[in-house]
Amino acid sequence: MELRKDSGPLKWVLILLCVVFLAVMLLLPLAYIVITALREGFGAYWAAITDPYARKAALLTLEATLWAVVINTLFGLCAAWSLTKFSFRGKKVLSTFIDLPVTVSPIIAGLIYVLTFGRQSPLYPLLEEAGVQIIFAVPGIVLATIFVTFPFISRELIPVLNAQGTDEEEAAALMGAGTFTIFRKVTLPHMKWALLYGVVLCTARAMGEFGAVSVLSGHLRGKTNTLPLYVELLYQGYDFTGAFAASSLLVIMAIIVLILRCWLERKGNKANDIR
Amino acid sequence: MAENTSYVELSHINKHFGDFQASKDINFSIPKGRLVALLGPSGSGKTTILRMIAGLEHPDSGEIRIDGRVVNQVPGSERGIGFVFQNYALFRYMTVYDNIAFGLRVKKAPKEEIDQRVRELLKLINCEGLEKRYPSQLSGGQRQRVAFARALAPRPQLLLLDEPFAAIDAKVRLELRTWLREMITQLNITSIFVTHDQDEAIEVADDIIVTNQGRVEQVGTPQALYRSPATAFVARFIGNSIPVKNYEKFRSFERGGRDTEAILRPEFISVYKKGERVQFQNSAEEGVVQDVIFRGSSLEIRVLIHGNLLSAIRSINDPAVEIGETVDVFIHRLFVLDGEKITLMDNRSLAGESVII
Repeated sequence: MELRKDSGPLKWVLILLCVVFLAVMLLLPLAYIVITALREGFGAYWAAITDPYARKAALLTLEATLWAVVINTLFGLCAAWSLTKFSFRGKKVLSTFIDLPVTVSPIIAGLIYVLTFGRQSPLYPLLEEAGVQIIFAVPGIVLATIFVTFPFISRELIPVLNAQGTDEEEAAALMGAGTFTIFRKVTLPHMKWALLYGVVLCTARAMGEFGAVSVLSGHLRGKTNTLPLYVELLYQGYDFTGAFAASSLLVIMAIIVLILRCWLERKGNKANDIR
Repeated sequence: MAENTSYVELSHINKHFGDFQASKDINFSIPKGRLVALLGPSGSGKTTILRMIAGLEHPDSGEIRIDGRVVNQVPGSERGIGFVFQNYALFRYMTVYDNIAFGLRVKKAPKEEIDQRVRELLKLINCEGLEKRYPSQLSGGQRQRVAFARALAPRPQLLLLDEPFAAIDAKVRLELRTWLREMITQLNITSIFVTHDQDEAIEVADDIIVTNQGRVEQVGTPQALYRSPATAFVARFIGNSIPVKNYEKFRSFERGGRDTEAILRPEFISVYKKGERVQFQNSAEEGVVQDVIFRGSSLEIRVLIHGNLLSAIRSINDPAVEIGETVDVFIHRLFVLDGEKITLMDNRSLAGESVII
C-alpha cells in the first residue's frame, strides 16, 4: 500500500512517457496519413481509392488474407492438438519449427519460395507442365502470406489446450463419446476465444505483409499487387495522395480488426470466469 | 477366491512407462459388490492399476477380467464402468444438468429417460436446484458429488474413483467419506478407489489392496492388515508404526533373530503415572515423557525408553502426565521383522491371556 502512495509522481511520469511516445510514434503518423490523403480534397481521395488498380489491390489483399486465415486455422488446430494431446518423438523440434516464421526475415521467406518454385528449381518443369504458376502470381502471394502468419493461431491455442489437460476428454471418452463429439462438446468450447483471437491476429498480420509478398509478387499492377505493395508503388511514383489514400484503406481495415480484438478479449475474459 | 464370485480380476499384469516399471506382476480379484481401496504411497502404482481397469492405460502383459470377460481389447467405454477423476474433470462449459446427462446423451437414450435419471441423481446427491449452475459455481464437495452422479448416470456395474477426496478440505472430506460409503453400500455397486491416506482406506473400504513400488503387498480387510501384516512394508505403513532396533532391552521381550527390528504402534503401549496400578508391574519399563500432544479426543504421549522415542495414547479422563515426568510404560506386544518375515511377539507376562486387537 505504502509503495503505491510513494510512487505517485512515478506513476504520472510513466503515464506521460507512454502518452508522448504513442503520440509521436503512432498518432502523428496516422494523422499525417489522413491529412495527406485528403490534401487535394475529398474528391481526389475518393478517386484514388476507387481507382480500379486500388480496388484490385484491396481485393487481392483480402483474398490472400482469407486463404492464410483458413489454412492457418486448420494447420493451427492440427498442430496445437497434436502438440498438446499426444506425446511423440520430435515434439520439441516440431514446436520450435512452428515459431520459425516469426524469427526468419520475411524477405528470406520470399526468397525461399522463389528458389523452391522458381526457374532454377527442379520442380519448375513439373509445375510448368501442369500449368501452375506460383512465382509472380497469386498462389505465390498466398503462400508467402501463409508462411509469415502460420504460428499465430497455433501459438494462441497451445497454452489453452495445455492448461486444460486431458482429463475432461478422457472422461468423455470413457462415457463412449466419439472423437468428433469430444472435440465439439469438450475441446472446442475451451479454445473458442483463443481460436478467434488467433484468427484476428493472423488477419492483421496477413493484411500488412510486405516483405515476403514483395519478393514473390513481381509487382504486376492490377494482377499481383497487394495493398501494401500498391502503396509503395504509388509512393515511389510521387503520387502522395494516392499512396496515402490507399494507406488509409489499410488503416481502416486495421481499426476494424482492432475493434474485433477488443471485443473478443472482453468476451473471452467473461467466458474465462466460468472456469 | 472362487472364479465365479470375482467381478474384477487382474492376473500377471505388467506395465512399463519407458524404463519405469509401474506394475510388477499384479494379481488380485475383487468380489461383486465390494468396496475396495487401492492404498499405497505416491508412485506405488495404484493409479496405474485403476487406469488399466478403466482402459485408460494398457498393460504390457497379463489379463484383466471384468465380470468373467477378458477386457484387454475392449475400449473403456464398453467395460461398464463409471470413473471419477481426481480433479473431477467436470465439463466446465456445461451445466450440472448437462454434465450428468452427458453419458446418457452419448448413448442416445430417449429424452424423457435422461431427464428422469438426471433428476433422480440430483436428488440422490442432494443437489436439486443446482442443475443450471456451472462447475465453477459449486463448492468442492458439490463438485465431487456431481462427478459421482455423472459417473453413475449410465448405470455402470463398476465404479472407479481416483483419489476421490484429495481435492477437498479436511472438514468436508470426513463428511464425504461417510456419505460415499453409505451411497455405495446403498447402490450395491462394486467400487474401487485409490488413496494414499490409510485412515481413509480403513474407514471407507471393505477390503484394502496395499501397493508399493509397483507390487501388490497385501490384500485383505482393514482388520487383517492391522492384525497380521504380510510384509515388512505393510507393517511399517499401516498404523503409526515406530521402528525399534534394540527391542530385546525391553523387559519380557527377547531377541527373535540377529538382524531383526521391531515395529511398535501406539495402541501396543500403555502409559501409567507413578502410583497408578499397573497390571504387570514387573514387566513395566520406566520412561521419561518428552512431549504431550493434544489430539482432541485423546492425548498422544511421547515417551523415551532405552533411547527410543515411542508414542502412546492416553485418555483425557486419566490423570494428566507432564513433560519430564517419569512414568511406567507397559508394552503389550510388538511386530518382529526378520527380512520379510513378520512375527507378532507378545509380552511374556501376557502368555496364556487372550489377546484382542
